[in-house]
Amino acid sequence: MIIRMARVRVAGPSAQLDAVLRLLQEIGDLHLIASAPSQAVTARPAGVSPRWVRHLRRVLDDVDAVLVALPGTATRETSPVRRVPLPPAARRVHRLRRELTSLARTRAALAEEQTLLTQYRAFFDAFEPLLQRAPRWPDARASFVLLRAGAGASVTELERSLPAVAGSKVELHARPLPSGEIAVLVLAAGSAAAQVEALLSTAQLEELPAPRGLGETNLLRAMPALQARLAQIDAQLVANEARRADIAAETRPELEALQAQVHDQLLLADAQAQVRTGELLFVIDGWMPDPAVAPLRARIARELGSDIVVAKVGTEPWTRADAPVALANPRLFRPFELITRAFPLPRYGSIDPTPFVAVFFPMFFGLMLGDVGYGLLLAGIAAAVRWRWRASATMRAVAEMGLGCALFAIVFGVLFGEFFGTLGTALGMRPLAFGRENALAPFLMFTIALGAVHVVLGLVLAVIGAWRQGHRRQAVGRGLTIAMIVLSALALLAAFKVLPARLFTPAAIALLIAFPILVALEGIIAVVELMSAFGHILSYARIMALGTASLMLAIIANRMVGALGSVLVGVLFALLFHLVNFAIGLFSPTIHALRLHYVEFFGEFYSPGGAAYRPLTHWRATSRSAST
Amino acid sequence: MELIWIVFASAAAVAITGLATAWAQGRIGPAVAASLAEKPELATTAIILVAIPETMVILGFVVAVMILLRGAG
Repeated sequence: MIIRMARVRVAGPSAQLDAVLRLLQEIGDLHLIASAPSQAVTARPAGVSPRWVRHLRRVLDDVDAVLVALPGTATRETSPVRRVPLPPAARRVHRLRRELTSLARTRAALAEEQTLLTQYRAFFDAFEPLLQRAPRWPDARASFVLLRAGAGASVTELERSLPAVAGSKVELHARPLPSGEIAVLVLAAGSAAAQVEALLSTAQLEELPAPRGLGETNLLRAMPALQARLAQIDAQLVANEARRADIAAETRPELEALQAQVHDQLLLADAQAQVRTGELLFVIDGWMPDPAVAPLRARIARELGSDIVVAKVGTEPWTRADAPVALANPRLFRPFELITRAFPLPRYGSIDPTPFVAVFFPMFFGLMLGDVGYGLLLAGIAAAVRWRWRASATMRAVAEMGLGCALFAIVFGVLFGEFFGTLGTALGMRPLAFGRENALAPFLMFTIALGAVHVVLGLVLAVIGAWRQGHRRQAVGRGLTIAMIVLSALALLAAFKVLPARLFTPAAIALLIAFPILVALEGIIAVVELMSAFGHILSYARIMALGTASLMLAIIANRMVGALGSVLVGVLFALLFHLVNFAIGLFSPTIHALRLHYVEFFGEFYSPGGAAYRPLTHWRATSRSAST
Repeated sequence: MELIWIVFASAAAVAITGLATAWAQGRIGPAVAASLAEKPELATTAIILVAIPETMVILGFVVAVMILLRGAG
């Protein structure tokens, strides 16, 4: 349900404004709004120096950058946020940011050099036996070429061309590298070196140069230096990582405290911009939950004295369109707020649909799945998810909704006598209500009747919401729509002799009388909306369709056991079919139960457009505050 | 002979509505995917929009079942 809000005004001496704002942040209940100007308080909003705010944002930027650059994860802050002296902390974090940026640049350069040198090493490893033996010519010159993968034709061309320019004074060796490239070594006598270089240049084959910084231009002679440099890089990378780890260990708690502190100060700065202050007096306007006003008043009086006044200001609370919206539901319904929150928040004064979703969503799901075996599987999965992700509020909510859906699936499975389809029948189960396999028509009638109840409930909520908002004519119109749906149902049931046939005529007459009244109240659009309501009711037939489809797949799965030659193969196929059916049975009923709520149910009464309740409170690492 | 027509009619009820649903979802799907590329927060609404045309094939299934029940009766 939507928490009833009270419009509150806090006023006091200007000198106590900072203390009041800090206390309000500590309490965390007041949603601040911009105070309207009045004669009592002359003009200006309090505000803080824009320069100070810019400084805070710079410090926050440094802190965020440092925390992202540090290895490891955030520490869990269980004690109250400790305060860090800001000026020295700001200087320190700026220095840390520069140091970490430098470490990152060094690490990137070392990694790039390491990648390049490793490529050379692969090259040398391919030719090591050749390079180790005594050279054929005393003044031999080695040329190294790296060809991309699949360039075998270039090697063949070289093998043909080199003897033509250098005769027998040249050797060509080619080896494939682990990366897929082809390493080519051309050994030439000193007298043929120029011709070989010219040929390589003509063929646009770039000779691999020696890495810079090794003090050698010839790759052959650079090898020992290359290996030494690789070892040096490894050591430098380890030292780099160790320094980052040291910084993280020394400074992470302090940085997290500083981050929270700066966020809090930015929130206070935003809050100050909404406070009006004069020479002597300040005024803070806001909204807060009605039950929290008295405790706020008491705590302010106790901690800051009687000079601070907390007054409840306001008229009829439900008609205030500008009041922020906060949802509060019992523990059992709270997980289903996840479904409601997929839509924009309801307007203040309208209806929070969460309690109804908490009842009908798992019910529809259970009706569609309707199997004890699948329900037990779902319960097991939901329990496992809840235990595994117990730290995440969202996953806990999803798991608890899953448990609710599993419960209804088991209940309806018992009512339908289904355990992995018709396997229950073989185990002695009998349907307590009706078997879905043989009672398609009754199941269809049941789901349409359920749809009528759900849609009528939506219309009842529309009546309540419209009445509460002061739209009496609309409320009566919606009420008349409910009456016409009920009368139509009565007339149909009387026509099919489910109810006494004598009810048909009075129901039909009542419909004929109600119809022009409805048009007079809501206009011709009411006719369209009435037809739309009937369409919405028929849409609930999907529950029967999906439930029957699920059952049929389960029956086919069970028949697999005896249909194939081998029992083992049949059982395996049956398990596979059941698994597929279960997966479909999780996804499809969820989507359609959601659709029935979002379109058919919410469409009758839901009024979106509520402003979120964002009280002035301490920043938390998982929150997305206005100051960021 | 009558049984053939009953079976054919129920199959047609599902097949035609299935084709209609597939055509509708084929138009909606790419549009929704393009929207999600720019606004990932619309994921829930997007799934609902893609699922809405399934009403046609589901009601086609219901009609098929009713034809089969009537025919069997």
